[in-house]
Amino acid sequence: MAFVLGIDIGSAASKGILLNDQGMQASYECPSGGDFKLTAERIKKELLSQTQKSEKEISRTVATGYGSTLVAFADEVKPDMVCHGKGVSSLLPSVRTVIDVGDLYTKVLHIDGHGSMHNFLLSGKCAGGSGRILQVIAKVLHVKVEEIGELSLKSKKRIDFSTGCAVFAESEAISRLSQEVTKEDLLAGLHRALAAQINSLVERIGVEQDVAMVGGGARDVGLVQALKEVRNQDILVPPNPHMTAALGAALIAMEGLKDKIET
Amino acid sequence: MADEKKEVKPKKRMTATQAAASIGPMVKEFITGTLRARAEGKQKIAYTFIVCHHEEIFRAMDVVPVWTENFAGICGAKRDAERFLQRAESLGLSRSLCTYALCGIGFDQWREELGQMPPDAPWGGQVRPDFMISSGQILCDPRSKWYQASQQFMPDVPIYNIDLPYPLFQRDRDHRDVWDYYHQYIVKQLRGLVTFLEEQTKKKMDYDRLRELVDLSDRTWNLIEETYDLRKAVPCPMGTGDAMNTMVPINFMMATQQAYDFFVNLKKELEEKIAKGEGEVENEKYRLMWGGGLPAWFALTDFNYFNSKGASFPVETTYRMVAPLNQMDIPETKDPIEHLAWRWLGYWTFWYDKAKKRPGSEPDVERLINRIEEYKIDGVVMHEAFSCRTWHVGLIWQLHQLAKIYKPIPVFVTGKGGKKEKIYRELPSLILESDIIDITSYSEVDTKNKIDAFIETLESIRLNRAA
Repeated sequence: MAFVLGIDIGSAASKGILLNDQGMQASYECPSGGDFKLTAERIKKELLSQTQKSEKEISRTVATGYGSTLVAFADEVKPDMVCHGKGVSSLLPSVRTVIDVGDLYTKVLHIDGHGSMHNFLLSGKCAGGSGRILQVIAKVLHVKVEEIGELSLKSKKRIDFSTGCAVFAESEAISRLSQEVTKEDLLAGLHRALAAQINSLVERIGVEQDVAMVGGGARDVGLVQALKEVRNQDILVPPNPHMTAALGAALIAMEGLKDKIET
Repeated sequence: MADEKKEVKPKKRMTATQAAASIGPMVKEFITGTLRARAEGKQKIAYTFIVCHHEEIFRAMDVVPVWTENFAGICGAKRDAERFLQRAESLGLSRSLCTYALCGIGFDQWREELGQMPPDAPWGGQVRPDFMISSGQILCDPRSKWYQASQQFMPDVPIYNIDLPYPLFQRDRDHRDVWDYYHQYIVKQLRGLVTFLEEQTKKKMDYDRLRELVDLSDRTWNLIEETYDLRKAVPCPMGTGDAMNTMVPINFMMATQQAYDFFVNLKKELEEKIAKGEGEVENEKYRLMWGGGLPAWFALTDFNYFNSKGASFPVETTYRMVAPLNQMDIPETKDPIEHLAWRWLGYWTFWYDKAKKRPGSEPDVERLINRIEEYKIDGVVMHEAFSCRTWHVGLIWQLHQLAKIYKPIPVFVTGKGGKKEKIYRELPSLILESDIIDITSYSEVDTKNKIDAFIETLESIRLNRAA
């Protein structure tokens, strides 16, 4: 039985999925660290260890993400948006617009029923409107980044957070804390400001229904809720939304394998 | 004071045509020529802006134009703009202003402070002018403000401003109802420029010579149209990367025999390439349009990156500042000044009638649609240069309108009842983001990631396109 590997080396976190024609066999994620080559090797090793497989049994590997070109053992490198499209479509076939809130960028893409991308838009070089701001604030508030979504939903009096800039957000948060604003209200305000920025990107390209949110930002329930409120519409979130690019990469690897067999 | 170290030299862009490759030395000689003119002191030197239809007047009066946007672009292309931008910032000017203007102002301040060219000035530097001709035209705001700022460091150098308006597009109005008024006004403006130049040069305008130069320009306009039309060929023999070089004779050398001869040679070269079936890229897979925005002058090698993916750029809207004169509905006149004013109006209103015929269209969008069809375009690429506000604002809107009213791609989709349906989609588009010369706004990794994703999109559409 053929196994394929999809590997997503992101700027903050890296993920891998081992797949065969029965479905997903193993998944793994870890911080990307400073050495992307080493991280890729680590992911492969971990997935093989989980499934008790050997390297020779992996028939094809597709790499994606910020550090994808450094994955020396990859057979193919694909843009992460292409992989997100494939991954989301396999989990939520009705989705036509995907919002990926990553560490450094937010991306919006339109896909067809097969997960093929036919238009997209990225946020600019500035990290404003991306997930990085959430990590910055988590550090300021001394909370884990995984906790900020739930905290935000407990807000009773959301503040107006004036910036979506990752740099200015830190100083604004500190000054708000000195005014005795609660963590919950501050986070709700931040989520709303971030959601507004993401929404302006979404509006630039337009929306085709259904809409899904993926990437690390989609694990933050507070941010998802804020975006739903700003857009006044439902937004689907697949299980493990941060893994969809790795999943898509694995699916593309599987497709590549089939093409190879057919030819 | 700002860090005044030079930046790292850029890699040279590979050109598809010999003509484009010849532009670098041509521009260098052009800059050297201005320095020579200054040293000899026989001709007056004027700072000025491109696309003002006044080159013929300058050349008829033997005034040497210094195209200040050109010099800033050279600094950007040589990745040597940052020290001049930092100079301007240290004077209190914001980086969010036009970076061409900032670069020029920073350079002028430095040159005036030293009393000589700044160290290692690109290609010898921008020469001190005798006067500055600014423009209050609608194209962009620095055209009237830039020289006022530079004048702080050169208070003895006079400024003359010409105003060049044109009637804005109104769907329910014929621009010809009002353009006589515009024409009279522009003629007055241009005659005022002649008077100013006569005062400065102590010479009278030779109108026979002016007529000859206007005729030379007109012939060059038509020749450029014929030459660029050859790029409709499949495969395309010359792309936008090269056109960012061949814009030099169009924008900086009009009304010269050299510009005319340049296009004679380019036309011949393209005809030869077409006869041999030679394209800009070896295996042309995608035909793209540069749909707007000034380029990132420091990153022209990005065009080579597109080419490496099989993408060619047969057409662009940027810097194609000509239109076929025989298709302009403008009155004939023997007065060269009046003709210049009519040509100005004819150029800026060129797409008005066509745009009115298509519901929801506007002149800029109509131009895109026509180019897409004439050049068989698969996708549109635009560049949002953050400091170029005039272009920046309109680009997104143009793309929106284009997507709204023009859906040329047939695809099959599975409808709600599971039935296969044929629908039409808009052309895919890519917006690159950085600046004209501010390299701090640019990320090579991001740009290449975007290009990669765009190519994937084009490929996906190519595969899914319904027959």
